[in-house]
Amino acid sequence: MAKLSEISHQKSKKKNDGSNEQGHKSHRIRKSGASAKKKSKSNPNSNEGLSKEQKKINNPKAFAFTSTVKAKRLQSRATEKEQKRLHVPTIDRTTGEPAPFVVVVQGPPQVGKSLLIKCLIKHYTKHNLPEVRGPITIISGKQRRLQFVECPNDINGMIDCAKFADLALLLIDGSYGFEMETFEFLNILQNHGFPRVMGVLTHLDKFKDVKKLKKTKQRLKHRFWTEIYDGAKLFYLSGLIHGKYTKREVHNLARFISVMKFPPLSWRVSHPYILVDRLKMLHPREGLLMLREVYNLVQLAWTSIFMQLVSFSFPYAHIAGVGDYPLSGITALADPCPLPSAAKKKGLRDKEKLFYAPMSGLGDLLYDKDAVYININDHFVQFSKDDGANEEGMPKGKQRDVGVELVKSLQNTKYSVDEKLEKSFISLFGKKPVPSSEAPTCSVDAREVADREVLLEPVEQYQHEIKDEDGELDEDSDTEDDDGLESLDGGKISDRKTSSQTIGDSSDEEALYSSEQRPPTQNNFKEQLDFHEGRVRRKAVFENEMDIDNQKDSGEDDEDGQDDESDSTDNDATENGDDENLSTHSDFSADDEEDNEDEMGNASKWKESLSERTALRHNINLMQLVYGKPPSKSSNEMKDTSEEESEDDEFFKPKGEGNKKSKEGVNDNDVDIDDCSKFLSNASIKDWKSEDLIASIRDRFVTGDWSKASLRNQLSEGVPGDNDDGDDAVFGEFEDLETGQKYESHQDDIGDSHKDDDLAAEERRLKKLALRAKFDAQYPSFTTYNPFSLFGVRREPGPEMLTEFSDEDDDGNNDAKTSHGQGNGSGYFDKLKEEIELRRQVNIAELNELDEVTRIEIEGYRTGTYLRIEVRDVPFQMVENFDPCHPILLGGLALGEENVGYMQVRLKRHRWHKKVLKTRDPIIVSIGWRRYQTVPIYAIEDSNGRHRMLKYTPEHMHCLAMFWGPLAPPHTGVVAVQNLSNNQASFRITATATVLEFNHAARIVKKIKLVGYACKIFKKTAFIEDMFTSDLEIARFEGAAIRTVSGIRGQVKKAVKEEIANKSKKKGGHAKEGIARCTFEDKIKMGDIVFLRAWSQVEIPQFYNPLTTALQPRDKTWQGMKTVAELRREQNLPVPVNKDSLYKAALPFASKPKDIPSRKRPLLENRRAVVMEPHERKVHALVQHLQLIRNEKIKKRKLKEEAKRKAQEVERAKEEQVSKKRQREERKGRHMIFDCCIIRCTSLINLQEPMLPKCEVGEKAASDRQI
Amino acid sequence: MGKVSYMRLKGSQNLRLRLLLSTLSTTPILIEDIRADATWPGLRPHEVSFLRVLEKVSDDCVVEINETGTKLKYKPGIVIGGRHLIHDCGTSRAIGYFLEPLIVLGLFGKKALSIRLKGATSSMTRLLGKSLELYNYDTVALICITNDSKDPSVDTFRSTTLPMLKQFGIPSEGLDLKIQCRGVPPHGGGEVILSIPIVQDSLKAITWIDEGMVKRIRGVTFSTKVSVQFENTMIHAARGIFNHLLPDVHIFTDHKAGDQAGKSPGYGISLFAETTSGCFISADTAVSYGRVDDEGELDDKKKELSPPGDIGEKIASVLLTKIEQGGVVDSTHQGLLFLLCALCPQDVSKVRVGKLSPYGIEVLRHIRDFLGVKFVIKPDPSTETVILKCVGCGLKNLSRKEMLTWDDIPFKDLLCFRMASQSTSLIRMGNLYEHNKVHNIAVNGPQKFHVLAVDQSIR
Repeated sequence: MAKLSEISHQKSKKKNDGSNEQGHKSHRIRKSGASAKKKSKSNPNSNEGLSKEQKKINNPKAFAFTSTVKAKRLQSRATEKEQKRLHVPTIDRTTGEPAPFVVVVQGPPQVGKSLLIKCLIKHYTKHNLPEVRGPITIISGKQRRLQFVECPNDINGMIDCAKFADLALLLIDGSYGFEMETFEFLNILQNHGFPRVMGVLTHLDKFKDVKKLKKTKQRLKHRFWTEIYDGAKLFYLSGLIHGKYTKREVHNLARFISVMKFPPLSWRVSHPYILVDRLKMLHPREGLLMLREVYNLVQLAWTSIFMQLVSFSFPYAHIAGVGDYPLSGITALADPCPLPSAAKKKGLRDKEKLFYAPMSGLGDLLYDKDAVYININDHFVQFSKDDGANEEGMPKGKQRDVGVELVKSLQNTKYSVDEKLEKSFISLFGKKPVPSSEAPTCSVDAREVADREVLLEPVEQYQHEIKDEDGELDEDSDTEDDDGLESLDGGKISDRKTSSQTIGDSSDEEALYSSEQRPPTQNNFKEQLDFHEGRVRRKAVFENEMDIDNQKDSGEDDEDGQDDESDSTDNDATENGDDENLSTHSDFSADDEEDNEDEMGNASKWKESLSERTALRHNINLMQLVYGKPPSKSSNEMKDTSEEESEDDEFFKPKGEGNKKSKEGVNDNDVDIDDCSKFLSNASIKDWKSEDLIASIRDRFVTGDWSKASLRNQLSEGVPGDNDDGDDAVFGEFEDLETGQKYESHQDDIGDSHKDDDLAAEERRLKKLALRAKFDAQYPSFTTYNPFSLFGVRREPGPEMLTEFSDEDDDGNNDAKTSHGQGNGSGYFDKLKEEIELRRQVNIAELNELDEVTRIEIEGYRTGTYLRIEVRDVPFQMVENFDPCHPILLGGLALGEENVGYMQVRLKRHRWHKKVLKTRDPIIVSIGWRRYQTVPIYAIEDSNGRHRMLKYTPEHMHCLAMFWGPLAPPHTGVVAVQNLSNNQASFRITATATVLEFNHAARIVKKIKLVGYACKIFKKTAFIEDMFTSDLEIARFEGAAIRTVSGIRGQVKKAVKEEIANKSKKKGGHAKEGIARCTFEDKIKMGDIVFLRAWSQVEIPQFYNPLTTALQPRDKTWQGMKTVAELRREQNLPVPVNKDSLYKAALPFASKPKDIPSRKRPLLENRRAVVMEPHERKVHALVQHLQLIRNEKIKKRKLKEEAKRKAQEVERAKEEQVSKKRQREERKGRHMIFDCCIIRCTSLINLQEPMLPKCEVGEKAASDRQI
Repeated sequence: MGKVSYMRLKGSQNLRLRLLLSTLSTTPILIEDIRADATWPGLRPHEVSFLRVLEKVSDDCVVEINETGTKLKYKPGIVIGGRHLIHDCGTSRAIGYFLEPLIVLGLFGKKALSIRLKGATSSMTRLLGKSLELYNYDTVALICITNDSKDPSVDTFRSTTLPMLKQFGIPSEGLDLKIQCRGVPPHGGGEVILSIPIVQDSLKAITWIDEGMVKRIRGVTFSTKVSVQFENTMIHAARGIFNHLLPDVHIFTDHKAGDQAGKSPGYGISLFAETTSGCFISADTAVSYGRVDDEGELDDKKKELSPPGDIGEKIASVLLTKIEQGGVVDSTHQGLLFLLCALCPQDVSKVRVGKLSPYGIEVLRHIRDFLGVKFVIKPDPSTETVILKCVGCGLKNLSRKEMLTWDDIPFKDLLCFRMASQSTSLIRMGNLYEHNKVHNIAVNGPQKFHVLAVDQSIR
C-alpha cells in the first residue's frame, strides 16, 4: 500500500518536473461516495441554509464594518496578530551538514513507544528492528537524517531527553487519557527551550463506540491544545494490524516528521552537544579495580553537535548524570551513516537508506579510530557462508567482494575462539608472555544473544591471501591489516554486515591508524574494554607490534609513507595536528597520489594555481611565526620569537624590539619584558619632508590620486569599481544609525585578495545566497522540504525566484527586486533578518576560503561530524551501569561555565505541585545541561531593592531563589524537582524558574528585632542595656532608629562610658559592656521596652550535589540530601514547638461574654402589648404560612442531602480501601514485570478540571484494580 | 568544585594582558619567576596597582603574592563594575597602561563601569576615607599620569580607541573618557574619569579591512606648568610636515594651569588621522623630566627636554609612518583590536593591520592560550599589510543581570506578565533593541513572543 503510494507520488513528481515548475495536484471533486452525497445535499440550498460565515465568503462587501471604532479594533487586532507571528531572527551558525534531528518518543509506560519507533524504522528502511535500545539513526531524505530515541520513563531520563530533542512525539493512551508523564515532560520541554512537539494518540481500538471515540478525540485534542497552542498537531493511530500500527498512518506520521522545520533554540545554539551512541573503555580493568581509580573513557558520539565544537573554547563537557569533565581528545571519524551524495537525482535509492543503531541489534560498519567493527546478524552470517546471493541488495563492487571474501575466510576457521586466541598469541607474541589473568576477567554480558562472534585469522594468513588479489585492492588490504591486527589483539569482533557502507578507503584508515595517540606511561600490552551492545569486550593492543606493522606498511607503498610524513610535518606545524589531520586525509586521499614530492600534503588541493599555493605557504609561515610550533603555554613562546631569525621573512619581523629580542635569545629579560602596547620604533623615523617619501604616501590621502587609492583598495579587497556602485545600491539599505559602517564594510570584504573576476562572481553568488535565504524566510511555504521530501525531492525555485536569480549579470534588475521586496516587508524585522543572513553568508564564504586543517583549527568541528571524544577520569561505575536505553548526553560548557557560585533565579512554584516550597529544603534543579541537588533560600525583592528572605515560596507568585551551584548564563530555564522516585503518583515538577544573575556574594537579609531595657533615664536620654552585647556592636549601630512599645521614637547615640554606666563596678560588680546611650523624642519610662529593627544577613548554604544517576543502576532511585521533614519522619521525631509562639485563645470581641448590668424592670419593648389591625393580622398569618412552608422544604432537603452524603461516604470508604489495598500490592510488586495486557477502566475523567492530578490517581487506582 | 587548577605562567611579561584574559575566561592563573633575577625582584608598583584596580571592579577575586613579589596567584571573580569608583594609579606608569585592559573588562561587567583614575601624589588619607564608600558609588576613577611617552595618552584614547569600540557594536552613549587634570612624569597628578557601558549579550563580529584614505588630521597638544608657546611651536612644526599632504589639519591646544596642570611641568602632542572609511590612526608623545627609576638612579633629571619643534615634527612623522604602514588601526591598537575580535560571537571577523607589532603578536598568542581562538594570518603583499581572520570565542557577558528579551523564556513565566499588564500598548519590534528597558513580554503559544509594553516599573 505504502509502496504504491510512493510510486504514484514519484510519478506525479516526474510529471510536474517535466513542465519545469511545481504545481499542486488539482482538487478533484468527488462524484460518488459519502462526501459527494453530502455535497449535493448542501449545494442546492441557496443562501438560507448557509451560516453567517459562508454568507460572508459569498458576499464580503455586505459584511464590511460600518463603525470606525470597529474598524480600528479590527486593525489593531490584525497588527497584533502580525506581531505575534514574528520572532527574533537567530543566526544559524551551522556550516556542516545538518546533524541528525533527534526525535524523542515519549509517553507513559505501555503506551506503544517502542512499537512506534519500530514501525517508523520499518517504514523508512524496510527493516525490522528487534528491539529499541539507544539512539537509532536513519537517513530519511537527501538532506535529512533522523535519530529516534525512546525516552526512558524516569524523570532523570525525561529531563535529559528534553535537552536534546528536536521533535518530541508525545504518545498518549487514548483509551485512558492523559497521564502525568506527558505533562511533566511538556513542562520540562518548555523550560529547556521548547522544541517541536507532536501528540500521538494510541490505543484507540479500545473504543467500541464510534461516537465515544470521536468525543474522546475531541476532548483530548482540546486539552492538548491548551497545553501547547491552538492547532497543535495531535496524531491518531487508530489501532494495530498484525501487532503493528497501520502502514498508512505510520506513513502519514513520517511525512509530518519529514516536513517539520526545527527552529534553533538559544541554549543549544550557544552550547554544542552530543548524543552519545557508543561507549568504550580504554584502560585495563584490573588496574582499575586494584587502585579503585578512575580511567579513560571514550565516547563515540553521533554527530548531534549543534555548533562547532572546538576543544579549547569548550574545554569542559558535562556528561549528564555524571559530571563535568575536560575533553582530552576529539577526533573526527568517518560517518557511519553519511548523507547520500549530492548527485542530481530524485529520491533516495534503496542503498542510501542507511540506518545505524549500534545498540539495537542493527547497524552498519562501525569505524573506530583504530578498528573497524562489522556486526553480522545470525542469518546474515549464514548468507556469507554459503556463497549465496545478495540478500540485502548490496552493491557488487569490488570492495564489497573483498569484504565478503574476508568474512567468509574468517568464518571458515576450524578452531574455536579461545583456541585461536591462544594460538595467535603464541605464534605472534611468543616473546612476551601474556598475563594470563587478564583473559578470563572479561565479563560477558548476558545480553549478547543475537550477535555472533567471529574471530579473525592471524595477520600473516590473510595478508598472504590478499596479495593474490589485484593490485588496486592493496589499499583495502592495508585496511584489513589493521583491522585484523586489532581484532586479533582484541580477541573477538562481532561482525555485522552492512547494507551499503563500503569499507573506507585506506588512506583514511591509515591516517586514523598512524595518528593514534597513546599515553606514554603504558606498557607494551594493554587491554581495551569495549562496551558494545551492553557487552564487555576486551581488546588487547600490543604497542610495539603495531609499530612494526606500521613501519612495514609505510615501507610497502609510497603513498602511505607520504601520509606518514605529512602527518609528522603537520604534527609540527599545528598544535592539534593529530586530530585535525584525520579529516584532511580522508578528503585529500585522492590527490595524494599525485604529489609525491610535495612536502606539504595538505597543500595538494591548491596545487593547481601556484600563486595561491605560495600564498598559502606564506600564510603558514606567518601563522607559525606567531603561534610557533610547540603547544606552549607562553613559557616557551620566547623561543618562538627567537626563531624569527631563521625565517628569512624580513617583512614580518618586527623592527625594533623584535631584533633586539632575537639577539638576546632566550633569557630571563625576555620573560620579564616591559608591558607596553605602544610600539616604539624611534630609530626608523623617516624624514617626511623629502619629496620622494611624500610621493610614496600621497595616495593614502584624499588629496592624492583617488583612482590609485581605489586601486589599492581594489587590489586588496578585490572589488571592482563598477561593482562597488551596485553593491552600495544593494547593501546601502541596511545602514542604520548605529551600525552603518559595518554593513558598508561587509560588502567591501566579501571577496578576498584573488583575481578580480573570480571575486565578482563570488560576490554575486553571495548576494544571491543572501537573497535566496531572505526569500525563504519570507515565504516559509516554499521551504526546502516539502511534504514529499521524504523521497528527497528538492524544491524547484518558484517562478518569482527564477526571475530573481536567473539573470546573474543584471545587477540593476536585482537591485530593483530587492528594494521592492524591502518596501513590502515590515521594515525593521526584515532588516534584521537580512543582516543576519548576510552575516551568515559572509561567515560561510570566509570559512570556505580556508583549507581543511586551518578550518578545523579556526572553526572547530562542524555540525554533523561523527566524533570520537576521549574523556578522562570518569568513574568506572558509569561504564559498569551503562544502560543503552538511557542515552548519554554530552553537553559542552562555554567559557567560565564550570565556575561555581551563587545563582539567583526567578522561581515560581508549579501550580500543580501541592505544597509550597520551604526555604532550605533541598531541591533538584536542572539548569542547562546539568542536574544537581542544591539548597535554595527563597527571597523577594522589596521596593527598595532589598532581598528579603521568605520562609516559604509564595502561593501564586514568582519569588527569587538563591542557591549555590555551577554557573549558568542569565536567561537559562530551570526546572526543579523534589522527588525523583517513579512511584510517586502526583506531579513531580515542583517549580520552574529562569536564571537572573550569578554572584559570588549573596545578599539576602531577614528581619531582626533587638530588644533592650532602660537601665537609667535622664530627661530625654536613656541608657539602654541588653540590646547590644558589646561596645563594638554599638559602634556599628550608631544613629540607628529605635522605638519603645508605646511608640516613642529615638536614636542610638554611643556606647556609654564605663564609669558612668557601671556604677555597680565601684561596688565590686562586673563591668557590663554594651550599654548604649540613646535619645528619645520624649522621656521614656523605666518599664518601657525598646526595640531596634534591623536586618541580618542570611547565609546561603554552599552545597550542591551533582546528580550521579548514570553511576548507579538506572532503576535505583538516586538518594541525595533529605529534607528535614523526611528525616523527622524517618526517625519519628516530633516537630519542635516553641510554646511561647502558641497563641492563647484570644476570642474575637463579638463572641466575648459581655458584662451587661441586670435590670429589674424589663425594657419597654418587652412590656408593651401589640394589637394588630385585621388586615395586618391577615398579612401576618400569610407570612407565617409562607415561612412554615419554606421551613418544611428546607428540612426535607436537608434530610435528603444527609442521606446522599452518607451514601457517598460509604462509597468513598470502599474506594479508599480498594486503593489502599492496591497501593500495598503495587508496593510489593513494584519491580515485577507484567506481561498481561492492561484493561483499563474506560470511564474517563474530565481532564480540564483543575483537580486533575487527584482524579487521575483515583482513576488509575480503580483501573489497575481490574487487571 | 573545591580544588582550583591554575594555569601556570612565567615571568612578568604581559602581566595585565594575562590578568585581563584570565578574568574574561575565568581561568585562575599562577605566575612564577616575576623578575626573579632582577636587582629589584618582584612586581612593580604599577602592576600591584593594576591588581588593585581588578579587585576594585570585580567581586570575589583572590590575589595572592608571595613575600618577594615573584609569584602571583590570581583567581578571577565576577566583574561588577559600578559607578564612582576611585583608583590611585601611582606614577610609575601612565594611565594608558590601566585604560587598555579596563576598557575591555568594563564591557563584560554586571553594571556599567565608571572609574576615576588619579595620579599618585594626591593625598592618600582622603582616598582611604573614600575607599570605604566604594561600594555605594557607581563610577571608576583613576588618578595618575595622563600623558607620557611610553603609554598611549588619554587624548589618543579619546580620539582613537573609543571610536574603535563602536565598530564592535558598543553603544557610544556611556562610553566616555573625561580628562579632569593632566599630569606628566615624574610627579603626575592627573585625573580622568572613564565610563564604559556593558555589552548586553556579546559583541558584534566585524569585517574591517577597508582602510580608506586619510581625509583629515586632528590633534591636541597640551602643556602643564609650561608656557603656551610650547604648544604653538609644536603645532607649527607638525603642520609644516602635513602641509605637503593635506590641508585639513587642525590641532587644538589644551593649556592647563593651576590644579588642573598636575604636579610636574611637561608638554606633549597627540595626533590622529581619520580616513574616509572611519579608521583612526594615531600617534602621540609627551615630554617631561624623567621619573625616578625603581633602581634608584636618576634617569635624566638634568637632561634638557627636547625642544617642542622637534617633538611636533617627530610625532607628525610617526603618524605618517603609521599611515604608510596601512591597516585599519595603528600598531598601538593592534592588540586591542585582536582581543575584541576574539571576544566576538562565533562569527568570522576579518581585519587588516599593518606590520604586526610585538605586542600584537603577544596578544595573539595569549588569546590562543586563554580563549582558544586562533587567527588566520595572511599577508597582503600588494599593500604590505596583514589580514587576520578569526572565529570569535563567543564570550557572553555572563555577569550581567538578566533582562527579559526575546529568547525562549519559558512561556509559563510570561503568562503572568501578560496578566499584569492589561492595558498594554504594542511596540514595534524595532524598539526592542533600542530600549534596554523591556521588561514586559507576553506570549501566546510556544516561541511566539512579542513585546507588549516597555516599562521599567513593572518588575
